[in-house]
Amino acid sequence: MGKIKLIDIASARSGDKNDLCNIGVMANSSQDYETLVQHLTAEVVKDHFKGLIKGEVIRYEWGSIEALNFVCHAALDGGGSRSLRMDTLGKNFSSHLLRLELEV
Amino acid sequence: MPAETVRIAGGQGFYGDSPAAAIAIAKEKACDYIVNDALAELTMSILQKDKMKDPKLGYPRDIEFNATTLFPLAFKNGIKIVSNSGGLNPVNAAKRVAAIMNQQGITGVKIAAITGDDFLPKLKEVLESGNELSNMDTAQPFRENEYPPTHANVYIGSKSIKEALDEGADIILAGRVADPCLTLGVLAHHFGWDLEKDLDKMACGISVGHLLECGGQASGGNSYAEWPMDYPLSNLGYPIAEVSEDGSAVFSKLESQGGKMSRNTLREQLVYEIHDPANYLTPDVTVDLTAVNIEDLEPNKVSFSGAQGKARPEKLKMTIGLMEGFITEQFFFFSWPYAHLKAKKFIEAVEQIWAKLPIKIESSNHRIIGLNGIHEDAAPSPASDKLDDVNELGVRLAIKHVDPKAGKMAMQSIVCLGLNGPPGAISMPGWGKMNKALLSLWPTLVDREMVDEKVEIFTS
Repeated sequence: MGKIKLIDIASARSGDKNDLCNIGVMANSSQDYETLVQHLTAEVVKDHFKGLIKGEVIRYEWGSIEALNFVCHAALDGGGSRSLRMDTLGKNFSSHLLRLELEV
Repeated sequence: MPAETVRIAGGQGFYGDSPAAAIAIAKEKACDYIVNDALAELTMSILQKDKMKDPKLGYPRDIEFNATTLFPLAFKNGIKIVSNSGGLNPVNAAKRVAAIMNQQGITGVKIAAITGDDFLPKLKEVLESGNELSNMDTAQPFRENEYPPTHANVYIGSKSIKEALDEGADIILAGRVADPCLTLGVLAHHFGWDLEKDLDKMACGISVGHLLECGGQASGGNSYAEWPMDYPLSNLGYPIAEVSEDGSAVFSKLESQGGKMSRNTLREQLVYEIHDPANYLTPDVTVDLTAVNIEDLEPNKVSFSGAQGKARPEKLKMTIGLMEGFITEQFFFFSWPYAHLKAKKFIEAVEQIWAKLPIKIESSNHRIIGLNGIHEDAAPSPASDKLDDVNELGVRLAIKHVDPKAGKMAMQSIVCLGLNGPPGAISMPGWGKMNKALLSLWPTLVDREMVDEKVEIFTS
């Protein structure tokens, strides 16, 4: 057992569609992608965003570009044009996810 | 026979984006087409407000500037402009651009307006036809909605873009054509693709469009993948795709500009605002992106191929904007010593003052910038000794209200805290936003037969 910082093995970009936020996580290598597939689950992501993501998190595997895509429901306080948050469009969901430490 | 490849540049990622990159591309004649995406949901409501003030408006106003800069340069160099910059008033947008170009003595420019997406005037008719316009997320029928609609636009596909180019248009100003369909329309025109049958080629065309539609976000802007960025950001070169008949493409950017084109920058734009990568829904085709192939060829040159197409969705998506009320926000700042305690004491005082006011605040969200301003309750808390010693912190107050007077009253009532509050509060009138439109979006579906797309061409 050890810890890996997500920011050391991947990059990320997030964006909005109404109240839904997607976070694409791109592994730095094929080996890092395997680590992500194994450890970066939808549950881990939802837990890391406690208080921000109210709905379900769905994970899609995207092996051809060594990426995982997380689709987060009820994540943006009602959506960009309704939200009282500073980050109305969830552009920094990527930043927050990169802070995650994975137990491997 | 069409040329073996066609070069398309992503010139604009949103209404307000800088035209500098597109102008540089047009100057160097580095493409055959420039696609400009101007429409986001919030943009539609801004345009609707403009249109309510003046029925001649309702289009993104940056086309007036472009009509004196980018458009003449592109026309001179044989580059066509394909955009959804017609907004909510494509016909007037086209007339306006024609007039501005005419004033400069530039004649013979064919400017196409594409309409048919605007359903605001047709909502009643659609409801009467038996479509309840149920919300795609909640299944609630539209008649149960209590708020007035601000706009209602159907995402339309690439058919009319192709048609306008077939008719010789030099500049296209469309309504709510879905962003990637601008590019697909160009490719269908250039290669004569069949928009009913060539599904894999169309899927590639949509993918190329998706990679171009956010401009500099595909060429090193907003990038963690290329962090720390070893290239200049002040003159980011926007993406240029050289597309072949089979839909595969080679992406590059101008060597004379900053930014970077790499497998990494393309990967991060590919995932942007995608949900299920096996089923990316567009008006023209459902795209499977799971087997795409992106490869670095040489510095700033990247190949893309391998998207696959499936049947398009049966119905078209429409988004109705609904005016729910207003958001008002304001900022204050505090320094060492006790910055954290001062911020907390300040918020406490604000809440007590507002509780006594004769106004209705629907909900509020007050946060400390420097601590949890962006990530709120998900942000980890620093150790308390560090928190007590921090240099500076900010406070952001944000409220929702229905009555526009409530925002003003709330903010006026706390001005006294400049003298009565914790020591040294810093604020400035005009920092925050007063009465920003609080808009909810109602996603729903309409039958394709209800959409009556039209291409009109105006010549300068």
